[in-house]
Amino acid sequence: MNKPWLKQYEAHVPHSLTYPEVPIHRFLSDTVDRHPDYVAMTFNEIHFTYNELNERVNRFAHALLKLGVEKGDRVALLLVNSPTYVFAFFAVVKLGAVVVNLSVGIQGEELARCLNDSGAKAVVTLDLFAQGVYAVIKKTGVKTVILHSVFGLEKGMALDRGVPQPLLFQDLVASAGTAQGPATRVSPEDVAVLQYTSGSTGAPKAASLTHKNVVASVLQSDSWVGISDGGNAAVLCLIPFFHVFGMSACLLISVLKGYRMVLLPRIDLMDILSLMETLKTYRPISFPAVPSLWTAILSLPPEVAREHLSPIRMATSGGAPLPQWAHERFEELTGRRIVEAYGLSEASSATHFAPYPRGGPIGSIGVPLPDTEAKIVDRETGNTECGAGEIGELVVKGPQIMQGYWNNEALTSSALRKGWLHTGDLARMDQDGFFYLIERKDDLIISSGFNIYPGEIEEVLRKHPKVKDAAAVGVPDRIKGQAVVAVIALKPGVEADKQELLKYCKDNMPDYRLPRAILFKEEIPRDPAGKILRRMVRLEALDL
Amino acid sequence: MNELLKELKRKIVEELQLKEVSPDQLADATPFFDGGLGLDSVDLLVLVAMVDRDYGVQIFSREVGEKVFVTLSTLAEYIAKTRKTRSV
Repeated sequence: MNKPWLKQYEAHVPHSLTYPEVPIHRFLSDTVDRHPDYVAMTFNEIHFTYNELNERVNRFAHALLKLGVEKGDRVALLLVNSPTYVFAFFAVVKLGAVVVNLSVGIQGEELARCLNDSGAKAVVTLDLFAQGVYAVIKKTGVKTVILHSVFGLEKGMALDRGVPQPLLFQDLVASAGTAQGPATRVSPEDVAVLQYTSGSTGAPKAASLTHKNVVASVLQSDSWVGISDGGNAAVLCLIPFFHVFGMSACLLISVLKGYRMVLLPRIDLMDILSLMETLKTYRPISFPAVPSLWTAILSLPPEVAREHLSPIRMATSGGAPLPQWAHERFEELTGRRIVEAYGLSEASSATHFAPYPRGGPIGSIGVPLPDTEAKIVDRETGNTECGAGEIGELVVKGPQIMQGYWNNEALTSSALRKGWLHTGDLARMDQDGFFYLIERKDDLIISSGFNIYPGEIEEVLRKHPKVKDAAAVGVPDRIKGQAVVAVIALKPGVEADKQELLKYCKDNMPDYRLPRAILFKEEIPRDPAGKILRRMVRLEALDL
Repeated sequence: MNELLKELKRKIVEELQLKEVSPDQLADATPFFDGGLGLDSVDLLVLVAMVDRDYGVQIFSREVGEKVFVTLSTLAEYIAKTRKTRSV
């Protein structure tokens, strides 16, 4: 296969890597052996060394074992970036059990579907999200709920009869008899993570990622950057670990390298205000973020932005294209480039990266990582490879690509064909091997780095008693990349105002999916087959 | 103070591209979040940048943010007070 991108590789990047046959938690045990006293994580001025982290992981693993969690069982994590997430993640994988990595934004029916689809036996969450879990628990097979109590909210919870009583994370860790690692043998071929990603119809699907997939992905990204003198430098962990970008670029790279994770949870809106102080205090070597965060930070006065951003050696942006002005401003302030990356849940994290540290052409998602093949194929059949500059569907292949969708043969065979993952994204490759995203094939909206499928919003809106039909589209937004506009057709003879519908949305969907604007129409334009004509809807939304 | 509030309303609508809102429609007591403008955390960061850039006032801690980003009035009061303090 012709790989024009190899000539873009920096001198420190090998064309191919050797991947050790190890489970993910080997990253942790190796770092504990090398640097037991390095600070592993900092959270609200509380610090844990790698040794302390590993001890708590082991204790929690034993507690899970006592509760009946065995190799292959699924354990859902519904957690923000916090020590509890890190303890639980490594405890689950050390047992050979599977992390069901769920966004804390999901709730109601969607949460129930994810728990049922994965067959989760246990849920680890915070007291803040416990109400949401208990609201659906009777519809699921969850037998154990473990809470990290932050505010003591569990004390005021009225639980229905027959549901499992919550167990406190703190009590379980304290009462676990040993801090030795569990004896479970975990194979690199075992499934480690079920990464949920919604489909365009709103039905949840989980990318099934093995230890081998995730280990390969982390090593590919690490070799790409090639920093070897970071010591116990800080990594700002603001991107949620429940997203593959955060799991890889923040959590696992840090543990591999022995970096200090500075955890910034985003429980409420005000948490974001700690960001500037945290940047100043910990002077991170790496800050993975999404374009909306970069653009917001880079809107600060130059001297303030420079002071906060100058220590960052590895500034990464992923999830959506970063505007040119943000690239230019960052370089002007720091003399370095923000490096863009492209990835998917189905690929454990990144498949493409702009060359580090020099960056890539503006608008490009970079080039394929070592051992990653990529090509553009015709969008109708997916069988014919396109030439340089031609637009088609991006397909990728490599050791980081998932095994398939959990319990979903039909979707798996449609997405994985002859070892190639069909990403659903339209893209082109230039003569030099740089790839450029053109648009998402499946009408995905990306706002503030969150993937939003129109179906997720439309399904909720159509359940409103006054709504006959609804369509959701993305429109350009200077800060967020895209914002959601909902177009609604009301049932005949009823009246509703936008505030009423916005409130309904706020009550029934996570904040990041909330429409920024609502437009009323008599009918939603559809083709003869009943499919929403999104291009027409988008044109109307753009006129707002 | 009234002028500052008027100016803030215009800047907020512009900066956040609030398509459903015109500055004149905003009451002084409009909350930023629940049931008000319905902003998210990125919007908040954008406002922090705007307030720093245009008024030289930094709101980089949640303790201050919780008191200041309540309504348009509380933000205007804080800017007016902090600017005054600085100029003394």
